[in-house]
Amino acid sequence: MAVASLFTREKRIVYARKISGFWEEFSRKKIGLFGLAIVIFYVVVAIFAPWLTPYNPLAQERVSQDFAMPQWVTIFPQYKDLPTTQKDQLYWLPEKGSDFIDHYGNSIITLYEAKGTEPVDVQLSAKFNYLSIPPNDFYLRFSWRSEEITDLKYSVTLNLFTPEGKDYPIWIQPSLNTGKGEVVSIQSVDPLLRDRLGFTMHENIAKIFFSQKGGYTCLLNMHFEPKSEAAKGQIILENAEVVILGHVHGILGCDNVGADIWAQVVHGARISLEIGILCAVTSSVIGILVGVIAGYFGGVVDEVMMRIVDVLLCLPFLPLLLTLVFIFGKNIFYIVLFIAIFGWQGLSRMIRSRVLALRETAFVECARASGASRFYIMIKHLVPNVLPIAFSSLVLSVPSAILFEASLSFLGFGDPRVPTWGKMLHQAYGFGAFTNLAWWWLVPPGLAITTLCLAFVFMGHALDEVVNPRLRRRR
Amino acid sequence: MFYITNKFKWLYTITKLRHKEEKGRLNMRDYLVKRVIVSILVLWIIASLNFVIFQVLSPISPENTVIDPRMTPEVRDSLAVLYGLREPIHIRYIKYVKNMFTWNFGVTFTSLKPVIQEMSVRLPSTVLLLGSALIGTILVGIPLGILAASRRGSKTDVLAIGSGLLTWGVPTFFIQLLFMLFFCYYSCVMFGVQIFPSSGIVSRPPPADPLAYMADVAYHLALPLITLIIAGFGSWALYTRSMLIDALTEDYIVTARAKGLTERTVLYRHAFRSILPPVVTVIALSVPGIISGAMITEWIFTLPGIGRWYLNSMMAGDYPVVQAVLFIYAILMILANLFSDIIYGVLDPRIRVGARR
Repeated sequence: MAVASLFTREKRIVYARKISGFWEEFSRKKIGLFGLAIVIFYVVVAIFAPWLTPYNPLAQERVSQDFAMPQWVTIFPQYKDLPTTQKDQLYWLPEKGSDFIDHYGNSIITLYEAKGTEPVDVQLSAKFNYLSIPPNDFYLRFSWRSEEITDLKYSVTLNLFTPEGKDYPIWIQPSLNTGKGEVVSIQSVDPLLRDRLGFTMHENIAKIFFSQKGGYTCLLNMHFEPKSEAAKGQIILENAEVVILGHVHGILGCDNVGADIWAQVVHGARISLEIGILCAVTSSVIGILVGVIAGYFGGVVDEVMMRIVDVLLCLPFLPLLLTLVFIFGKNIFYIVLFIAIFGWQGLSRMIRSRVLALRETAFVECARASGASRFYIMIKHLVPNVLPIAFSSLVLSVPSAILFEASLSFLGFGDPRVPTWGKMLHQAYGFGAFTNLAWWWLVPPGLAITTLCLAFVFMGHALDEVVNPRLRRRR
Repeated sequence: MFYITNKFKWLYTITKLRHKEEKGRLNMRDYLVKRVIVSILVLWIIASLNFVIFQVLSPISPENTVIDPRMTPEVRDSLAVLYGLREPIHIRYIKYVKNMFTWNFGVTFTSLKPVIQEMSVRLPSTVLLLGSALIGTILVGIPLGILAASRRGSKTDVLAIGSGLLTWGVPTFFIQLLFMLFFCYYSCVMFGVQIFPSSGIVSRPPPADPLAYMADVAYHLALPLITLIIAGFGSWALYTRSMLIDALTEDYIVTARAKGLTERTVLYRHAFRSILPPVVTVIALSVPGIISGAMITEWIFTLPGIGRWYLNSMMAGDYPVVQAVLFIYAILMILANLFSDIIYGVLDPRIRVGARR
């Protein structure tokens, strides 16, 4: 009933007038508007996060070399040669034995049918250009399978020819006489490959392979040895690509596994806003309820609630929070709950003292005299009167919630399933951002936390001035 | 300019409200007696809370930290008896509360030494770092706040407000990471020398000469200390500033000025004197933070203090340590509250007068 009467027509007009008056007052505070603008910016970023970045922040997809710098550093002369990631589809062209080869969509089918008992080589070649400084890392990926093998022995090798004519057998499939299928991924960091090609562990084979600028050729050699006249088989080749990882990538570079940092920052805005606002709302609701109930009922209820406040104030917040998260599990729900539980004491104390004063006022006495229930008085008369205090405190408790979550994640107690800025700093600290001087990994999440928190602080203090007339007199 | 309180706001507000509400009803002595009784009650609740969290709710127990399944059944049984696991829960609870109040925190699970002994090894480093950080922030912050309040709109004022904002919005660990990146790593590239060490509290091996030893410790603590002061002094400056500006608008200040007192006298003898109770209250309430506040700093700079020990023990499931640290923090907090109550009464003449009446 109480709720329904909140939205009668007259009430609506009153509320609209109040809100427009409030906005008029607030819009005079430049600093508050500035804060609001930043918050709106972050909200927009959070909403459009999936469209701002193509990568999933949790997948740790390898998009460039480890600790790749941001792409825009190439405007500085000392970095101007650094390339981005080069991704080439390999288009296989027949080199030898073209009558066996058949294109079917994206796949290339080599249909072998014995025409004698002599071994036959079928060769495919694919060319691509590399025109930048030597990379630190590359990989080559393709999938192949062999089918309907009868009376046939075959082997497959893949060679890479550099522009100066050097020949590296980078992949070998030893002789087989049955069908097989796999996705081959040849990686330059693979120690087995490095050893097979005769390099020492201090040499980087990506650097050696691609030390020249020019045209490179991949040569795939299929060697068929028929055992009888009836020998036949087919080898199907699909989705071949060579990826030469760049030295620079995207807006904010890469982390220690070559994953995009911009994606993590953008998605972090989401979770930080969610955590901050959820915690602030929850703790404010608890604070209002406890304050109003304690102040209005007084006596034993008051005493018990204020002792609870005393107990909570005597506990160290961060250590206890860490311990609770450790015991109950690193779950974002628990983290929000625990931060909210520890955030309402000051507010409730403040509201209680306000309610103590309000309880004695004429309008509450009138309400009581006309037979209003306690619940009705609390909801209709007391809560609306303390809401202004709670409102500015709510906005001001958003940054502290964000900071606590960041501290928690930074110490490694965050939820591993959500990408947060604190977690990014944790990883940057733990996985060599310092030794690699990766400022692009350390600075963005910290700056994001700082600006978001400051925006809420600006807004909170502007609100404080609007709703708290006592502060206005000092101007 | 906009009005800013800071994270001390609640601490002070709560003390003030408590006084305001009780002042009418009780005199100072009765009030303090009541506070002491309430404090003991609070301490008991915290001890019980510790018991419930760590020995009832938590899945971590000596069963899975100390007692090894490879031990013989007899050994396992005797260990379980030693840790009191065979006793009913209410007996354990009574024993536990008794132990806590008699300062007997038991033996750690990881090193099997008394908790107090382990703590006393780690306490000096933490107290040294955070104690000096607290003193440093106060010594920088409060004078800056006074200056800012007396010269509103000046550059000092902007500095005070800016630094205060910094403490609101910047995570301390971010400042520390940035300083570490620059002074420990970038400096190697740019100047060829590591300006400050990035970890540890003393070189290995430590210098033999006591003077050199102290210098070495100071060198190692310099970076954490500087970052803590930078991250912390703003809130003190802002707090002092906003309190002082409030005080400077009071009528007695106008009177003092009208009497022809110098601005200096007005500022220090009248205005600052009147904000002394809240400032001292907040200083007192910040002292317990020495135990708990260094956790992230010690983690980043690898310092062997209470905070790091707490984290490591917690992750090892070593709950006697965790309980002891929480309990000692609570004791300190309660003492600080009592102290601030007394100080508030002593320093604020209005309360003394009220008590006499």
